[in-house]
Amino acid sequence: MNKPLFGAFEAPGNGKHMLGPIQHIDVPMRRFRDSEEVDYLVVGVGSAGGVLVQRLARAGFNVVGLEAGPFWDTERDWVSDEVGSHKLYWEDPRVTGGSDPLALGANNSGKGVGGGSVHWAAFTPRLHPSDFEVYTRDGVGADWPIRYEDIRPYYEQIELEMPVAGPAYFPWGYPHGYPYGPHPMGGVGDALIKGCTALGIPVSIGGPVAILSGSRADRPHCIYRGFCIQGCKVGAKASTLVTHVPDAIRKGAEIRDRCMAGRIEVGPHGRVTGVHYFDREDRLHFQKAKAVIVAGYAIESPRLLLNSACPGHDNGLANSSGTVGRYLMAQAGNIILGRFEQLVRMYKAPPAHALTEEFYETDPSRNFARGFAIQTVAPLPIAFGKQMVAAKGAWGWGLRREMMDYNHWATFGFLGEILPWPENRVTLAEERDQFGLPVAHVSFNLHDNDKKLIHFGKQKTMEVMAAAGAAEVVQEARFAHLVGACRMGADARTSVVDQFCRTHDVPNLFVCDGSVMPTQGSANPGLTIQAIAARTADYLIAQGETIFTSNRRDVTPPPMHRELAPPDTWGHGVPRL
Amino acid sequence: MNPPDPNTEPDLLPRAPATGQPILPTQQPGYYPGYNTLGQQKFWDAATRRLVVQRVASPPPLRFFSEDQARFWKAVFDHLLPQTDRTPDRQIPLIPPLDRRLYENRTAGYRFENMPQDRDVYGSIGIEAIDREAQEQYGKPFLALAWPEQDLVLRAMHDGKPHGTNDIRDRMPVHRFWQLIVQDAIEAYYAHPWAWDEIGYGGPAYPRAYTRLERGEPEPWEVEEQRYAWDDPSAAVSGEVHDASQHSFESEQHPHHVARSR
Repeated sequence: MNKPLFGAFEAPGNGKHMLGPIQHIDVPMRRFRDSEEVDYLVVGVGSAGGVLVQRLARAGFNVVGLEAGPFWDTERDWVSDEVGSHKLYWEDPRVTGGSDPLALGANNSGKGVGGGSVHWAAFTPRLHPSDFEVYTRDGVGADWPIRYEDIRPYYEQIELEMPVAGPAYFPWGYPHGYPYGPHPMGGVGDALIKGCTALGIPVSIGGPVAILSGSRADRPHCIYRGFCIQGCKVGAKASTLVTHVPDAIRKGAEIRDRCMAGRIEVGPHGRVTGVHYFDREDRLHFQKAKAVIVAGYAIESPRLLLNSACPGHDNGLANSSGTVGRYLMAQAGNIILGRFEQLVRMYKAPPAHALTEEFYETDPSRNFARGFAIQTVAPLPIAFGKQMVAAKGAWGWGLRREMMDYNHWATFGFLGEILPWPENRVTLAEERDQFGLPVAHVSFNLHDNDKKLIHFGKQKTMEVMAAAGAAEVVQEARFAHLVGACRMGADARTSVVDQFCRTHDVPNLFVCDGSVMPTQGSANPGLTIQAIAARTADYLIAQGETIFTSNRRDVTPPPMHRELAPPDTWGHGVPRL
Repeated sequence: MNPPDPNTEPDLLPRAPATGQPILPTQQPGYYPGYNTLGQQKFWDAATRRLVVQRVASPPPLRFFSEDQARFWKAVFDHLLPQTDRTPDRQIPLIPPLDRRLYENRTAGYRFENMPQDRDVYGSIGIEAIDREAQEQYGKPFLALAWPEQDLVLRAMHDGKPHGTNDIRDRMPVHRFWQLIVQDAIEAYYAHPWAWDEIGYGGPAYPRAYTRLERGEPEPWEVEEQRYAWDDPSAAVSGEVHDASQHSFESEQHPHHVARSR
C-alpha cells in the first residue's frame, strides 16, 4: 500500500471501475455458478444489502448479492444534473392509490448497487428509545421485539463506518456525539437556526449527516455542490456502494447486477433453496443458496414474497400471519418554503445540514400521539418548480416569475411520524412488468392521529420559517421515506420476521431492510436500516452453519463483531472511538 | 400554429410597469445579466459536460408523437411555460425531451391508480380532454383558438374545473393530469442551461466545488442579482399565483378525487 496520503486522483476513463475520483474496485470480481450452492443469496444490494454482503463475506461465507439495477461506475454513469439522474430511481411500473397516495420513484425508491443510499440526502438521526415501545407508552402503533439498548452499539458502529458528521453533542433521544465535525452552514441551515433560536428551539447544526466533512482513506471531503440526491460523484456522501460494497468484493462476495429476482423457490422440507431471477438479457436463471435474505425495501421485498406464493404458502411466502405487505409506512414530509428579501442560493451545501428534534416525543398537551422533526432540505430548480405548482398554483408566466426568485427561497422539511396501519399495504396489481411479474400496488391512507400530527407539525414549521424572517411562507404536502410491510415482532401471528430478521415461517429465509421496522419515529430511516443489517449479520455469523442445517430458532443475542467492519473505519486513528 | 410574432402581437410580451410598453424579447431574461453556466463547462466533469452540451446542441428527434400530436402539445406547453420574452434562437425546446421519455416508455416510477398510462394521456386522452374543453367554451378545437382563449381553456384545467358536460373527470382526475403536463414542461425548461442562467442557478460544480455557502453570496464566476420590474403580458391569464398551501395533506387540497379511489 504505497499511495498518497489522501489517495491518488484518477483520470476518468482509465479502464478502472471508479467509485468517486479516488476509490476503485478491481474487476473482474469472483463469480459463482448458478449451480453452485452459495451460503447466502442477498436480494437487493442497497442500504441493508450492502452491509450484509460485506459482513458475511468478511466472515468467510460465500455470498452473492443480486441487484436489479446497475453496478455504478460513478465517474462514467453519474452526472451533476437533475433529469440526467433518473436512472438512480426505481422506474419500473408500480401503481399507487388509496385516499392519500404515495409518490414513489425518485421520492423514496432507489435502483442499482447502493440502492436508496445512493440518492438519500444522508440525514442520519437515530431513533429514540421511545420508538421501540410506542404501543406500551402511547397505546398506538406497535412495540419492537428489541429495545434501544439492543441497537445502540450498532448505531455507534455504523456512524463510524459511514462516517457521520455532526455536532459534538446531540441532545435528543439518547444523547450522543458524532465522530466527524459538523459541516459549515448554507443559507437554509442559517434560516433554520435563526427561526428556531427566535422561538427558543434548540437546533443540531452541521448534521447529523453521513457526508465527509474531512477526507478519509480513499474518499474525499464534501465540495458543497448540492447534488446529494442525484448521487454523490465526489464520494463524500456515504452509500453502501462506496462504504461497504468495495470491501465485500475484496473479501470474495459477488455482486450480480442488473438481475431481477422473480420468485423464491421452496424445497420439499419447507426451506428455501434459491431464487429464480432474470439476468440483464432477460434470461431466466436459478441460483441455489443455503439461505436467502430479501433486502429489496418496503415495496419490492413484500412484492417478491407475494410473487413467491406456492402450495403451502398460498398467500405468499412467509405470510401465514397475513402481515406481508401490511403496516407500510411513509413519513409526512411537507415542504415548507419561505421567501426572503435577501438572497439564499439554496443549491449550495448539502440539502441535509441542520435539524431539530424538539417536537419528536409525545406531548400530552397536544391532541395526538408521537411527534416530528424539522430539517433542512434544498430542492434544485426542477424539484423547486414542481413545489411552486403545488404550493402556489403556479403555471405559465406566474411560474416563470416564481422561478426567477429561486435564489430567494429557503425550504424546510417537516418530518412527521405516521403510525402503522394494516390497510396501508403493498399488494399485487393485475398489471405486469417487463419480466411478466405482477407489479406492486401500494395503498396509503391517513388516519386521525396522522392528520392531527401533520396539521400541527406543518403549522409549527411554518412558524419557524416566519420567525427566520421569511416574508412569505407556503408549503407543499407530501410524504418522505418508506418502511414497514414485513415487520418484525415477537408474535408470529402478527409479524413476518423475528428480531433477527428471520421469517417466522421459513427457517432459512430472512427479510432484512427497512420493511422490517414496526414503527418509524420521525428519524430518517437509513441509519437504522444499516444498524439492523449489521446486527442481523452478527447474528448470522454467531449462528454459523446451524442456519443452513437446522430449523431450530435460537434467539440468543450475538456478540458484536467490530473487527468485521470495513478496514480503516474503526480502531486507532478513527476519530472519537 | 406558428409561434406568435412579437412584433405583431405585443399583448403576448411582458410589459414595463412604468410605461405599459412591451419589453422586447432578449436572449436572456431574468435578473442575472451576463451569467453563463455553459461558459463554465470546462470546470465540469466529462459525463456531465457531455450530457448538458448535447441537450443544448441536439434535442432528440420526435419518435413518439405524430406531427399533429407534437403540434398540439407544443401549443399547450407554450402556455405552461411561455417563452415570448426569449428571442427565437434562445427558446428552449420543451417537446423533444417529453417525446423521448414517452418513446422510451419512461415514467416517474409509478402510476396513480385512477390515472391512465402516460402514453395514453399524451397520445389521446389528454388531447381529447383539452379539445373537449375548448369545444365547451368556444365551440372550436384548441388549435383553432386565439392565444387568450387557449390560455383560458388551460386555466379551467389548472383550476380543476372543466366546463359543462366535459367527461374528463371520468377518465382521469383533472389535477393529476395538470400535475403531469406542468411537471413535464418544468423538466424540460429548467433542465436547460439557458434557464439556469435566467434564474441564477449555479449548475454543475463537480469537481470545482462551491465555497461561498452563506448569505447568498455568489462564487467569483457567478453574478450579482439585478432585479427589474415586469408585468405579465396583457393577453395572458397565467400570471396569477395564490397561496395554495392551506391544506395539511394532499387529499385536503383535492378532496373531490378521494371518493374515486377504488
